[in-house]
Amino acid sequence: MSRYALTVAILTTLVLALAILSLAAGLAGIGVTQGLSDMLHGRATIAATIIGQIRLPRMTLALLIGATLGLSGAALQGLVRNPLADPGVLGISGCGALGAVLVFYTGVSAVWAPALPLAALSGAGLATLLLLVLTRGGTLVLVLAGAALGSMSAALLALTLNLVPSPYASYEIMHWLMGSLSRASQQDVLIAMPGLLIGSALLFSTGRSLDALTLGEDVAQTMGFPLRAVQWRVVIGTALAVGSGVAVAGGIGFVGLVMPHLLRPLAGARPSRLLLPSALGGAALLLAADLFVRLPVSGAELQLGVVTSLIGTPVFFWQVWRLRGRPV
Amino acid sequence: MILQTDTISLTLQGNRLLNDIALEVRPGEVLGLIGPNGAGKSTLLRVMAGLLRPDTGCVFLDGRDLFTMPPEERGRHLAYLPQEAPASIGMSVRDVVALGRLPHRRTASAQQDAAAVRQALDAVGMSAFADRSSASLSGGERARILLARALAVQAPVMLADEPVAALDPAQALTVMNLFGQYAAQGQAVAVVLHDLALAARFCTRIAVLSEGRLVGIGTPAEVLTDALFAEVYGVAVRRCGEVAVPWSLVASTRRP
Repeated sequence: MSRYALTVAILTTLVLALAILSLAAGLAGIGVTQGLSDMLHGRATIAATIIGQIRLPRMTLALLIGATLGLSGAALQGLVRNPLADPGVLGISGCGALGAVLVFYTGVSAVWAPALPLAALSGAGLATLLLLVLTRGGTLVLVLAGAALGSMSAALLALTLNLVPSPYASYEIMHWLMGSLSRASQQDVLIAMPGLLIGSALLFSTGRSLDALTLGEDVAQTMGFPLRAVQWRVVIGTALAVGSGVAVAGGIGFVGLVMPHLLRPLAGARPSRLLLPSALGGAALLLAADLFVRLPVSGAELQLGVVTSLIGTPVFFWQVWRLRGRPV
Repeated sequence: MILQTDTISLTLQGNRLLNDIALEVRPGEVLGLIGPNGAGKSTLLRVMAGLLRPDTGCVFLDGRDLFTMPPEERGRHLAYLPQEAPASIGMSVRDVVALGRLPHRRTASAQQDAAAVRQALDAVGMSAFADRSSASLSGGERARILLARALAVQAPVMLADEPVAALDPAQALTVMNLFGQYAAQGQAVAVVLHDLALAARFCTRIAVLSEGRLVGIGTPAEVLTDALFAEVYGVAVRRCGEVAVPWSLVASTRRP
């Protein structure tokens, strides 16, 4: 078995194990198999309700959002050929959250529910598009543009919080900005699923183009891979995946930064070979982080986005350390 | 396959870079593109590779318009080796060379791909390095695996932009020999060169560009005259046997 196949096999096993653990973990002591079987047979037991309406949506969203975050990180890093690219670091998640908060704050989402994911999608999409336009200036410009987008969305989000009339509403927005799956529902799964799946399919389809791009834009184009076509697929794929994730779970950062970095030594440097392992790794990381926040360590439940950021920041520092002294 | 440019002109940001250039690269020949810095050699090569669309005129590959050909098909017919190497490719030498097979992904078998990669690695003398990471290579070695990548396409037309600029004399001779062998198999090769001795030695024909115009084309003996050196490069040469060595600057009305 090649090292790539072994990596994929181990990660798949890990994801499955964590998914089962995620279904089993919770305060109510219920049997997972019993609950699943009740649910599938339409028996309205307590176990079936807890599994079907609480734990299964939460597990599904952690798995899918984690996978698309890992995947979009790997695709973005391949596209801009820069290991610092990540939807969170580059402000894409922040702009998605801004879009969602604006719709939430103005009450539009109360009148028309699909407005929330659509606004998150638009925010993420606009941010990615802007970054791509600026990417032509190279690595330094890209990272600076990402920082600018991140600061802008943070400032505008803070402004919204500042202006929010009731403490309850500001608590709602805060809770969601930090990223959480604690209130994941079946409806959330329905809202996020199409974007997560279509976005992932688009991102997976870029593998060969990303490989060709390692030789530079000109050579890739002469081999039949026009840069524009790859860029569009990555932009739309990232916007759909990250936007849909943000719409239901809020901002969850650094998964896309951490996973490609950890897996590159195992999966090899070919960008196409990094996509699937990064998706699996992202799913495993988010499932594990979501299990961790459910541990009864302190009085309050930790927020998911806080945990992933705490895991991700050291990796970010490590990348910066590796890149220091290199010409930009 | 024959690659023709039909009186192409190109203006970018107000600068006239190419002016009515008509030439062809024929199967079995190495066409050298020479000229002073800024003459438009690399720009012309990029137009010939389909990377820049000329304002007027066309590029034809066996009579078909290059710019309307499906990208994947064009990728199989034409290999392009740019002057600048990509900053860093972490993958193994074999994987880098195998990227040259991407245009064939729907038309060639895995065996054909593997054979093409092996052949290309052999040709540049890098077979022993196949499993090494390309990040650990010297500049000259990296230039050779990027050449191997272009060879692995096995395209009927090869376009190379200053492929020997970063190489020592022995490696430069090896690479020029490779282009000669490639052409001898019936492929058409166009190479941008600054080293006129290499151009004289290895090119079947030479095209001379100056200020975006084609000022001469023919065999090395026809083209590389003392008058050309004085007129186009502003230098006087001394001849050592067949080789002309730039010796001193000449006062020219065109070049200060």
